[in-house]
Amino acid sequence: MTPEELRDVNQDIAVHGARAGDFVRLGDTDLVVRVESDDREIGNELQIGFGKNARDGIGMRSVRSAESCDVVITNVLVIDAVQGIRVTSIGIRHGRISAIGRSGNPDTMDNIDVIVGSGTVIIPGEGLIATAGGIDSHVHAMSPRVCDAALSSGVTTLIAQEFGPFWGVGVGSSWALQHGHDSFASWPLNVGILGRAAGSTTAPLFEALEGGVCGFKIHEDTGAHPRTLDTALTFADEHDIAIALHTDGLNEMMNVDDTIDVIAGRAVHAYHVEGCGGGHAPDVLRMAGHDNILASSTNPTLAYGVNAADEHIAMIISAHGMNPELPSDVELARRRVRNATMAAENRLHDIGVIPVTSSDALGMGRADDTWRKTFAMASMFADRAILDGTVEADSVVTSNERVLRHVAKITINPALVHGLAHEVGAIKEGLLADIVLWPYKSFASKPNMVIKGGIPAWGVVGDPGSTVANAQPLVIGPQFGAFGVAPADLGVHFTNSASTTTVAGRRSVPVKNTRTVRGRDMLYHGVLGDVNVDPTGHTVTFNGEIVTSEAQSRSSLTRTYLL
Amino acid sequence: MELTPSEQDRLLIFTAAQLAQSRRDRGLKLNHPEAVALISHAVIEAARDGVSHSQALAIGQTAVRSDELLPGVASMLFGIAIEAVFDDGRRLVVVDFHSTEDNIPGQVTRLSSTTSSAPADIVTIDVHNDSTVQISVTTHMHFFEVNPRLRFDREASYGRRLQIPAGEHVDFPAGTTVAVNLIPITGERVIIGFAGLVDGPLDAPGAKEQAMAKAKALGYLDGGAA
Repeated sequence: MTPEELRDVNQDIAVHGARAGDFVRLGDTDLVVRVESDDREIGNELQIGFGKNARDGIGMRSVRSAESCDVVITNVLVIDAVQGIRVTSIGIRHGRISAIGRSGNPDTMDNIDVIVGSGTVIIPGEGLIATAGGIDSHVHAMSPRVCDAALSSGVTTLIAQEFGPFWGVGVGSSWALQHGHDSFASWPLNVGILGRAAGSTTAPLFEALEGGVCGFKIHEDTGAHPRTLDTALTFADEHDIAIALHTDGLNEMMNVDDTIDVIAGRAVHAYHVEGCGGGHAPDVLRMAGHDNILASSTNPTLAYGVNAADEHIAMIISAHGMNPELPSDVELARRRVRNATMAAENRLHDIGVIPVTSSDALGMGRADDTWRKTFAMASMFADRAILDGTVEADSVVTSNERVLRHVAKITINPALVHGLAHEVGAIKEGLLADIVLWPYKSFASKPNMVIKGGIPAWGVVGDPGSTVANAQPLVIGPQFGAFGVAPADLGVHFTNSASTTTVAGRRSVPVKNTRTVRGRDMLYHGVLGDVNVDPTGHTVTFNGEIVTSEAQSRSSLTRTYLL
Repeated sequence: MELTPSEQDRLLIFTAAQLAQSRRDRGLKLNHPEAVALISHAVIEAARDGVSHSQALAIGQTAVRSDELLPGVASMLFGIAIEAVFDDGRRLVVVDFHSTEDNIPGQVTRLSSTTSSAPADIVTIDVHNDSTVQISVTTHMHFFEVNPRLRFDREASYGRRLQIPAGEHVDFPAGTTVAVNLIPITGERVIIGFAGLVDGPLDAPGAKEQAMAKAKALGYLDGGAA
């Protein structure tokens, strides 16, 4: 390109963002995606502002929102496991995605998919990336501030196990559950609470079911015995609810093979499958790769780092009611921490064996780190070529598939595992408009705006007395969707179909299809096979081949962005 | 002190800047929030020292040096908006740091220039501004209905708009003549609103004649042959 052409290109990018065929680097990672398509017509783009064309009779049609939409996100780079990587516009009607495609006024523009009315709220998306809201399927809500942390990181759905500083790992009391649901309605979040499946009979499970849980948690700290496991899975099959499993890390009653046998082909969500977070030592990772066992990771072991092992000893003792002065406790903690399984876990993510990432917030993970660590991990395996300039850009294999695989881990896949996919998990017509907007420069590290049920509910806000909305100090905090009765209305209470519990001002939605979901249903994943961990915990193989990765001394998306 | 929320925000900037300064003093390279805090702090304190707006801007632009920044941070330091209290009141300063670094988080790379297929049907007309002020017309305005004080071939402009990229405009300085290219309005070609000269489908039988008559009756200047 001539200098003049280059100037024009840079100006066009500054105004319109990326177009079809452009390469976009995600934050400070080594991930570079290529935009697959752009629904805009060049020269005829809908634009907002002074002297622009989003005006009555031009880009806006003078009709009611029933014939257009309530909200439109225009010209945004969507990165979504269902949509792919494309520039488009997203129309929203009554909190749900109503149309996706070219936006504008069909009176004066060709091939309009998203009709913009003269009263439609417009969120300009140029220069931003839109993803579905993150789904954190492993949250210990020991403090209400975990909700703020989650929202500030681009998470809009929580599968929680407590609501306060009490020993929970699932809650059984329907009286207590009612208060939990009521409290969660204060945030513009979808929340499902897991009941405690520590019952050798179904009596406590029935109570939690009536109390409106969306699933159950089995945890060794409250009993992951053969009986509790089988009772919970049998109960789950009868009521279409998900089971999250933290296995018997002591191997007190079962080895990992026994646990797999008790599960007997039934669907189960295997939490922190690497094992630092708990579960059969040293080989709980063997649960990955089975069709019925939907494995997830918690975020401290992701983007496997040089300090990961040291951190975990301290974390385990701190999180599990243990005492660092007791040699027995320290020994148990040490047994859970293995570099080889962490190194293997990261590689198993990259090749599509482990389909879900989560936080384990306040219980050995960070509520606001799942997007960041998931993409830092993706970057570990990316090809640096285009950034180094060592390869011609048009011959570079871009990271599109890898990026979509990692988006799926935080969005559609946990939605499928927990039976939420009829409401959330993708940017798709009919689903809730839970959408996170990220600047290209801080993708997956710091969001610009969190749209919950179609309304800006969280995001970057600045000096409140300023002439402009973006004056320093910019902080990430509540937007209008987080106040008054709006949060209750914008969020969903994920429950089960036998629940007798209602939440004031909030819609209750039963989960479904939790019993038939399988590993092969996981988008951009579904790679099945035999994961083996040798009894020392020092070697991990997948289908006989050693799987490992190198510990990173520097994680992307982190030092550049965090104070 | 009776501090307002906005004043309390100054303290957040100050604290972050102090933290950043202590890290800079230890010889550490600055990341994005650290650099933004130092720039914001410099502007606010310059204003407090009594300098002018332009001086405060210059101080903000040089508050950090490229070699003090972590890789990739320089390109992220643009559009930093700061409210500072100057002697003549609170003023907004927007700082852009001049970056020449190749490491650009979020960089967009385009291999060839953007091209749009040129429309086949273009008419060129001269437009004279009879008014005393400059008139500007944006891309997608129905050109037929623009300011009545613009004198041009109204009939030739019926159902057309300017052939310029979306979001741009053409200026018609007072008393001058400017030639413009017009292209057909697309879509269903329905023009609702504007000056009300059409208010319906452009290509309905008799619509153009009616619109011409209405424009003439309302005094829209017309430089056309008729």
